[in-house]
Amino acid sequence: MDFFSNFSNQFYLTFIKDNRYKVFIEGFGNTILIAICATIIGVLIGTLIAIYRVSYAQSDKKNPIKKFINFILTAYVAIIRGTPVVLQIMIMYYLVLVAIKDYAVVIAIIAFGLNSGAYVSEIIRGGILAVDKGQMEAGRSLGLSKSETMKSIIIPQAIKNCLPSLGNEFIAVLKETSVVGYIPVTDLTKASNLITGVTYNAFFPLISVAVAYFILVAGLTALFRKMERKLAQSDRS
Amino acid sequence: MIEVKNLKKSFGDNHVLKEINETIHQGEKVVIVGPSGSGKSTFLRCLNLLEVPTSGEIWFEGQNITSKDCNIDKTRQKMGMVFQHFNLFPHLTILHNITLAPVKLKLQTKEEAEKNAMRLLERIGLADKAHTYPAMLSGGQKQRIAIVRALAMNPDVMLFDEPTSALDPEMVGEVLALMKELADDGMTMVVVTHEMGFAREVATRVLFMDGGYIKEQNTPEEFFTNPQDPRLKEFLSKVL
Repeated sequence: MDFFSNFSNQFYLTFIKDNRYKVFIEGFGNTILIAICATIIGVLIGTLIAIYRVSYAQSDKKNPIKKFINFILTAYVAIIRGTPVVLQIMIMYYLVLVAIKDYAVVIAIIAFGLNSGAYVSEIIRGGILAVDKGQMEAGRSLGLSKSETMKSIIIPQAIKNCLPSLGNEFIAVLKETSVVGYIPVTDLTKASNLITGVTYNAFFPLISVAVAYFILVAGLTALFRKMERKLAQSDRS
Repeated sequence: MIEVKNLKKSFGDNHVLKEINETIHQGEKVVIVGPSGSGKSTFLRCLNLLEVPTSGEIWFEGQNITSKDCNIDKTRQKMGMVFQHFNLFPHLTILHNITLAPVKLKLQTKEEAEKNAMRLLERIGLADKAHTYPAMLSGGQKQRIAIVRALAMNPDVMLFDEPTSALDPEMVGEVLALMKELADDGMTMVVVTHEMGFAREVATRVLFMDGGYIKEQNTPEEFFTNPQDPRLKEFLSKVL
């Protein structure tokens, strides 16, 4: 009986008192917002970088401007992959994007988007390289331009190739956003910390937030399964 | 129709084509034979610039397609190509495989292209496969679809790069039969193949390539019964 009343009291303190559930909802919203926007930015940047680097690798590599761009992109991927994401957010917030300091969520989205872009570019680059060389030749032999062949023939197959890895990356981004609390943004993890700070009890905040992440990841996993199945339609023989 | 002048192609230090001069006229069915590594596929792939020549010129319908001013995409619309490994687009249905290029290049509306594709599919007896994917077809069916896909662009010449080499023996016949039909319709064809029977029956001219040169060429009759080049004699004694 003692245990039970203690339990419900803690629940009350964590979620109900002073409308504390609103902190969790804000955190939940921010986590999802940052994860979705960063993923979209990441896929856009990653796809463009991957296409550029693959085409550059297949070209004669003589144009100095293209060479320079390729160098920048390679350096970008190396730097992003070579430093922790939590440092990248802080560098963005305290050093690079000081001008928009009041919009910390936007800074977080940009930082995570740039971070994800580097990883996605490598995933998609691998996916493109895995598409049979004959596909490009077949497209070109029909009179399609290189970019049209990329768009209609190579990229759809590349995306299918790397869908499992992309799913992995999206899950990683979603969970990595938990370090965003290093700058003034309230995400799920930060919400848990804030509430623990006033109730001096970590049980409910930590467990509930862990469950929330788990459910999000489970949903994402199911979504990707479904997409993979849909794209596997053409494999059935 | 196609004129090849002093064509040379090397990959690094490997000189695959050493000095090729050749003219292919409208309506001709030229079959190229030769041992592996003789440069016959490379030669064929140079004709539509899938391989860029190291030096020399290729003229197609009065245009120098090796010059920088030539829009190669435009030229390739008139040169169909069929590959050894079919290279159908696995993520698209058969119908979409055939209509993709004409529609994207705005040569036909989607409706026209589909109508045209269905007509071609009916001709080869595969109309019922229009909405299935390439993975569901046999090798012979895939290659016939690949031929139809090239035909859908209404090309002036068709290039075949060992079209039957990746097929089960049972399926070679159906592909050759379609190619023969095409030849009878008057299509200009350049075919790299190991099918000597096809060369004998369909070709108007047979070329023998070896070591990066065209060593000998003749009508199929003379080519097979009265070969001159010692290397060709040796080759024919092995394959016939």
